[in-house]
Amino acid sequence: MTVKECYDAMGADYEDVFARLRKDERIQKFLLKVMNDKSYDLLCSSLESGDMAEAFRAAHTLKGVCQNLSLTPLYKSAAVLSDRLKEQTEYGSDIEPMLDRVREDYERTISCIRELDGQ
Amino acid sequence: MNKKENGQIRNKILIVDDSEINRSLLSDMLSGEYEILEAENGMEASAILQSHEHEISVMLLDIVMPVMDGFETLVAMNKNGWIKSIPVIMISAETVPAYVDRAYDLGVQDYISRPFDERTVRRRVINTIMLFAKQKELSHMVADQMMEKENGNQLMIEILSNIVEFRNGESGLHVLHIRTLTELFLKALLEKTDKYDISRKDIPLICNASALHDIGKIVIPEEVLNKPGRFTDEEFAIMRTHSMEGARLLEDIPMRKNEPLIQLGYQICRWHHERYDGKGYPDGLKGEEIPIVAQVVALADVYDALTSKRVYKDAYSHEKAVEMILNGECGIFNPILMECLKDISDTLEKELSVLSQGSSQTEILGTVEMMMEKGELEVSERTLRLLEHERTKYQFYAELSHEIQFEYTAMPEMLILSEWGARYLDMPETVLNPREEAFGQKVFDGSDFEELLRLLVNTTPEKPVVEKKYLLNINGHERWSRVIARSMWDDGETPEYMGAIGKIVDIHDNMEKMTNLERMAAHDSLTGLLNHKAAKEKISDILNQDEQQKYILLLFDLDKFKQANDQYGHLFGDEVLKYVAETIKKSTRASDIAARMGGDEFLLFMPYKEQAEPLVKRIFDLLCGQYKEFRVSVSMGIACAEECGGDYSVLFHMADEAMYEAKRSGRGRYCFYKAEMADTGGEAR
Repeated sequence: MTVKECYDAMGADYEDVFARLRKDERIQKFLLKVMNDKSYDLLCSSLESGDMAEAFRAAHTLKGVCQNLSLTPLYKSAAVLSDRLKEQTEYGSDIEPMLDRVREDYERTISCIRELDGQ
Repeated sequence: MNKKENGQIRNKILIVDDSEINRSLLSDMLSGEYEILEAENGMEASAILQSHEHEISVMLLDIVMPVMDGFETLVAMNKNGWIKSIPVIMISAETVPAYVDRAYDLGVQDYISRPFDERTVRRRVINTIMLFAKQKELSHMVADQMMEKENGNQLMIEILSNIVEFRNGESGLHVLHIRTLTELFLKALLEKTDKYDISRKDIPLICNASALHDIGKIVIPEEVLNKPGRFTDEEFAIMRTHSMEGARLLEDIPMRKNEPLIQLGYQICRWHHERYDGKGYPDGLKGEEIPIVAQVVALADVYDALTSKRVYKDAYSHEKAVEMILNGECGIFNPILMECLKDISDTLEKELSVLSQGSSQTEILGTVEMMMEKGELEVSERTLRLLEHERTKYQFYAELSHEIQFEYTAMPEMLILSEWGARYLDMPETVLNPREEAFGQKVFDGSDFEELLRLLVNTTPEKPVVEKKYLLNINGHERWSRVIARSMWDDGETPEYMGAIGKIVDIHDNMEKMTNLERMAAHDSLTGLLNHKAAKEKISDILNQDEQQKYILLLFDLDKFKQANDQYGHLFGDEVLKYVAETIKKSTRASDIAARMGGDEFLLFMPYKEQAEPLVKRIFDLLCGQYKEFRVSVSMGIACAEECGGDYSVLFHMADEAMYEAKRSGRGRYCFYKAEMADTGGEAR
């Protein structure tokens, strides 16, 4: 699997990331780091424990990371959640579907990266 | 710019972002040409800035971060002045105008928005570094030119005034004195009041202008100017024209009327002979009609005239001169200036001689200081080298001294330990939030550390030193240590507390030695009981403090002890004494006081409840017994503290009398003191 194929499988924007980072090796190196990034776990656990400020920071970081690597679907769902957490600091039932979306995108993204790493 | 001067030094970039991926992305893009430092949040960044401020060429700063976010970091950078030496590029996906505006307001140079693009990041960083370097270079050039111009100005004024002085047959010192006196009086005046429209930064210019006060004398005929002895009325009238003439000279300089130096010089020339009561010349101005600068120079002029030798008079002493001025013998001055004169009178003479010698240098330094304040003069490369040199020196000495040295910053709160200190405590050199960390919780007892910080905050810039002993926990061992620290203040008008520097010295061994010595000095080496001197002090303390005085003093010696020595030897005698001491120790409580007086004489001091006798009997019975071949028997005298009036020697004397009574009555018994013993006691011995 090439980096481009991995991006295609994730539904992410390879052209964009390549234009900015300019080397497949570099892109791959940072993709692999996403697997070790704690912000997704932190996001889930902070929402569970009701620490909304921490949840916002985690969503924000996740969004930033995805943006830098053009992981477009996860970036979009993380951005929606991050914006919601920034505007309103109380928990609400509207958060759940947003988090579900993030989870779905995150799992897909990570499984593609694992596949890339598996070679 | 570092590169050119010093081939191996690469510009350092500090990246502050909470996401490791983002940091390494940026680091990856930049590490080819730059050395990268990373921080996870504003706190860590502050710690790096604190120790590497002048090495960092640019800082990339994220906004949303835990612990201390980007904006808070910028606030701290402003407060500590770091923002002046380090350009900051903000990195954020936020392009909300409110965010961007706030960042620029806080001194940010540029903005990089996510997602990062390698070319953009590299270009922005290079541009920022170059722009900042250029700006620094330019400000150095401007500063140099300003210095040159300022020096030139001052030199011209000094030459001009010297010509006048020369013609006047004076040494030229007068001008220097006037400048210095004017400076001292102005500073004193500003301490006292802000009612006049002058501030500290005006002082150098006023001092310059003060040098011009007598230029009008250039038009006075020489025979009048240098006449020894008194002036005739006519001559005096001629002399008096010099003030107005001086003002006219300045007024006539073409195109320069609005120069502050000319305007001040005009006021000073024309009115430096006016007096507060309106009896001066040339205009007879009164009170505050006289510009304050002229009032100050007038006072300076009079003081210097009195304390200098002139063709018509000898020099008066400083004390005499001040007295004459205060008495109004040289005309009446503004009462507030008289207060100033009194305030600085003690130090005036000394400062005058010191300041006049180095006057040019001090003023140049003053100018430089002013420019620094206005941010016109950035730290030069040379200063940095000197700083580096100082740092090496400091590190070397710190290493040798085997002391924990520290720097404490109040905001953001952190502690920087010397290399040796950090190793010794097994801690990182930078401790963020020291109150919550092991340093403030374990090394110091929490409340001790809070106390130390409180003591430091409560110091003043005049009395900044705190010294105190604390029991510290150093790697699990309790050690007595002395902390000596000095609070640090910024140099604003009202100094603000910045933090402190200090050191921690281990004094445990010394303390232990001292306690040991103290213990040894207080105890009898054979029996381990207290000696008489120590017992006396302790008992006196109790007698002084306790109102109830329900205590008894027991004094006893061993009957026929001399026989034991003679018969079985001194070693055996010592054993008997030890046996008695052990018996005493077993039958008394820790709060009781037991001592060996010397020889075979012992003392006990203890409280009792209702009746003293049962207690005495119990101890007496315990003491009487058999030690090996020797039958132990004692003669004991007892006195109650209630009867001694709180005086130990009286109490002791009473017990002593009672003991002799016991002996006289046939030994092997105890005897309470009774008043009638007082008279016979002495004789019985």
